[in-house]
Amino acid sequence: MNTAADDFFSGERLVFLDGGMGTQLQAKGLRPGETPELWNLSRPGDVRAVHEAYFAAGADAVYANTFGANPAKYHGDAPLADAIAAGIGIAREAAGKAGGRRFVALDVGPTGRLLKPSGDFEFDAAYDAFAEQVRAGAAAGADFVAIETMGDTYELKAAVLAAKENSSLPVLATVALGNDGKLLTGASVECVAALLEGLRVDAIGLNCGFGPDRMLEYVKRLADATSLPIAVKPNAGMPRMVGGRTVFDVGPGEFARDVAALADAGASIVGGCCGTTPEHIAAVHAALAGRTSLIRRNRLGEAAPPKHRTVVTSGSRVVEIPFGDTIIIGERINPTGKKKLREALSSGDVAYVLREAVAQADAGAHILDVNTGVPGLDEPAVLDATIQAVQSVTDLPLQIDTSDPKALERALRHYNGKALVNSVNGKEESLSAVLPLVAKYGGAVVALTLDETGIPPTAEGRLAIARKIIARGAEHGLKPSDFVVDVLCLAVSADAQSANTILDALGRVRDELGCRTCLGVSNISFGLPARPLINASFYTMALARGLSAGIVNPLAADMMTAYRAYRALTARDAACGEWIESYKGWTPDSRQPQAVGGRSAAGGRDSQPDAQGSRIADSIRHGLKTDAASAARDALAGGAAPLDVVNAEIVPALETVGRGFESGTVFLPQLLMAAEAAGAAFEVVRSAMPAQDAGSVKGPVIIATVKGDIHDIGKNICRALLENYGFKVVDLGRDVAPETVVAAAKRENARLVGLSALMTTTVGAMEETVKLVHEQLPGCKVTVGGAVLTEDYAAKIGADSYSKDAMGLVRYAEKLFS
Amino acid sequence: MAIDEVQICRYLRLYGRAPGAALAERIKAMRKAADAAIRPARVWRRFEGLSAAGGAGSQSLAKHLAGCHAVYLVCATIGVAFDALQRRTAAKSPSDAFVLQAIGAAAIEALMDETELDIRRELPVGETLVSRYSPGYGDYPLAEQRRLLSVLDAPRSVGVSLTDALVMVPSKSVSAVIGAKKDQSA
Repeated sequence: MNTAADDFFSGERLVFLDGGMGTQLQAKGLRPGETPELWNLSRPGDVRAVHEAYFAAGADAVYANTFGANPAKYHGDAPLADAIAAGIGIAREAAGKAGGRRFVALDVGPTGRLLKPSGDFEFDAAYDAFAEQVRAGAAAGADFVAIETMGDTYELKAAVLAAKENSSLPVLATVALGNDGKLLTGASVECVAALLEGLRVDAIGLNCGFGPDRMLEYVKRLADATSLPIAVKPNAGMPRMVGGRTVFDVGPGEFARDVAALADAGASIVGGCCGTTPEHIAAVHAALAGRTSLIRRNRLGEAAPPKHRTVVTSGSRVVEIPFGDTIIIGERINPTGKKKLREALSSGDVAYVLREAVAQADAGAHILDVNTGVPGLDEPAVLDATIQAVQSVTDLPLQIDTSDPKALERALRHYNGKALVNSVNGKEESLSAVLPLVAKYGGAVVALTLDETGIPPTAEGRLAIARKIIARGAEHGLKPSDFVVDVLCLAVSADAQSANTILDALGRVRDELGCRTCLGVSNISFGLPARPLINASFYTMALARGLSAGIVNPLAADMMTAYRAYRALTARDAACGEWIESYKGWTPDSRQPQAVGGRSAAGGRDSQPDAQGSRIADSIRHGLKTDAASAARDALAGGAAPLDVVNAEIVPALETVGRGFESGTVFLPQLLMAAEAAGAAFEVVRSAMPAQDAGSVKGPVIIATVKGDIHDIGKNICRALLENYGFKVVDLGRDVAPETVVAAAKRENARLVGLSALMTTTVGAMEETVKLVHEQLPGCKVTVGGAVLTEDYAAKIGADSYSKDAMGLVRYAEKLFS
Repeated sequence: MAIDEVQICRYLRLYGRAPGAALAERIKAMRKAADAAIRPARVWRRFEGLSAAGGAGSQSLAKHLAGCHAVYLVCATIGVAFDALQRRTAAKSPSDAFVLQAIGAAAIEALMDETELDIRRELPVGETLVSRYSPGYGDYPLAEQRRLLSVLDAPRSVGVSLTDALVMVPSKSVSAVIGAKKDQSA
């Protein structure tokens, strides 16, 4: 091999694939739930007959009967490798019998498991399952790997990496679109194309999902998004259930006509999926066999041109780093100079980082920078875990920010999508470590214009380094569009020409190198007073010079105003729509633009406080977050002492609600809303407090949902209440291993651990965790809760206490820490 | 699929009380967010005889299906995007997350009710359905989820799969057995 690779995936000839296998086997008696791959061993003649019929119909290649032959899905008495080898062997026999150039693909379907974060299956476990399948298939003599019917980009990435790292075979990858034209996990075809091009597969496309007519729109979009050959394997229409049987309505003639239209739109590898038969493939062959070259090539007079876009993705969202417009990279997940974030990363407090991520996304960031460089921490492990956690709460693409190549590789590998890498620079050490990783995993990379000699003082010097980096990238197959050049922002207080140099370089990078640019804007003001003011002005100047992506704090009102104003003033904000939406309620007194479009509780209650309470207490009792915060702000402005506001207003108000909950007059949602309102008020007061007063918190309490359990509503409720009752909480998240809980409890010197489990099947893991904590930390109490637990059961598994609800946990903690 | 406000309040554990203005506003806002994230999918299949339901010797299932001569195996979900919304919301506001999960619970119930109605429509004349029964009820082992989802090819047909702990994912998913028997009233 590989004769297939020569012209099969060149996009220069039409290639015919087979049609449905599963539906053909069902017609021969395969029962629902039966393992199809076992037929390779028990009924090889039936499987071979299907292949032979497809070859006879004109297929150049068939998919072996190995769709579900991965260890996560396959269940049968025979060893998996035997079923795969037999499957490839049968297809080979059929190919030999057909004669001529005929090929056999190892068919790789999904594992049937849902990966994290929505499921519990690890990326590495999915990779291992595919790797085993690929090794067996390659050993058995497959000509290429056909990954198909993927509904999750993350699983797709695991499959592609497994195919490429465990064989030298060409890889064709196709995905299944749902009725909404997206993958199950929400990715568009553009998102898939960016991911797969980055991973350097040989051909990409669509299979299953629906019929060929509905595929047309998506093939057109794919052709626009990628220069790779496009494969299509549609169903014979939408499946319908009739009397317990699945029926497909599109006959061979209609199918062939619609597939021909897909070829016109740019598909060069054509076949069928569920419900298609040898007759369908024969009809497609008849309709298209006369064509020697492709419309995609003909119309353009040349092969499909490479697309010079700079695109990054998450699992479901595509973001282009543009020419002619600008986007925002949120800079807040970076512990430099942020004590709280540093503490959160050190203690494993995931929740804190997640709040930062969501807040930036809500404020309008397009990409989030993630940097976890804290001295003394295991950066590869922490960055990996943080990236996965952040991806669980936002669909924004991430900028992986590290100078440790080990941390970068691990994070890039586990990243769902095509990441932005921050960064490579002109130093030899950096070039040789980072560029191969970007080439392997796909991605765009920030090129810092510094090298062994430091940062050149002139624009010309910085351009020279950028040129060098781009040239070195070319050796790894990277294009200029894979780079985003950072011309480096130095403080204007240290170098009076700094801003001028940057502005000059920005324009020249775009014009002379054809590269997009990014910049850590706020560095310009180091050493100066009123930094936000000068930052915003400099940001505007950089935007006017064509800055593609500002790395800024999206929660800084001045920066967002500069961004929105620039876009409105330069006809980039259609009809000033975003501007109007963001500032429609603006008055000269509006200090926080976010508050304008933020949660409003208007109509939530009468504007007059209740007779029995102050405005703060009243807002808390009614669960009105914004009102509680502004009431606290007004109280402070009116001269109230911060500690008095806490002790005389906030705490008693929350206590009243808590008692109401315990006596049954207040219900859980109201209790939670009150707690959040109290939290919002407290946050305002805390920022006005002297540090030593603000630091008087109780705890810490370590909380987690146990291993195997992915339900965390109850645990989150506990966190919210504990925090608002003044406890420091370290929230380890869900599906947490016993060892992780113990390690965190040790590190924090914790006296209390709270565990939650919702399922009977995970109470075992809870018991194990309780045991381990008691073994290793004799002084630490464990309280447990969750839907399936009772007082008795808690005692049986050795817990020190049972918390029947979140309020119960708060009471227990209060007693323990009093 | 219409989500009933009363059901949402039931899942919010309001015990029959009205939600009050502030909470009502949150319910409205979260319903809007949920609407954008919910992608219902369902699959069902009829099997003659009762063996497709499995049961591993379950007495309670046998009792539930007494007199039935066929079963429908059903699986439905409101989709994985709802779970993503749930996680995002939980990172911001536990109370909104609590409201959202109540909406999700009411949504999947509504979807199952709707599915049952659709099955009734295609039911052969003279037959009637007994109520839904799921693995985990009575002594019908939770492990039988594997059989149900496998027979329905649920990971592929509706995107529902199982975790190691036999939890269905996406989280708002339901599988069930519905028995069919002769309609005595007919």
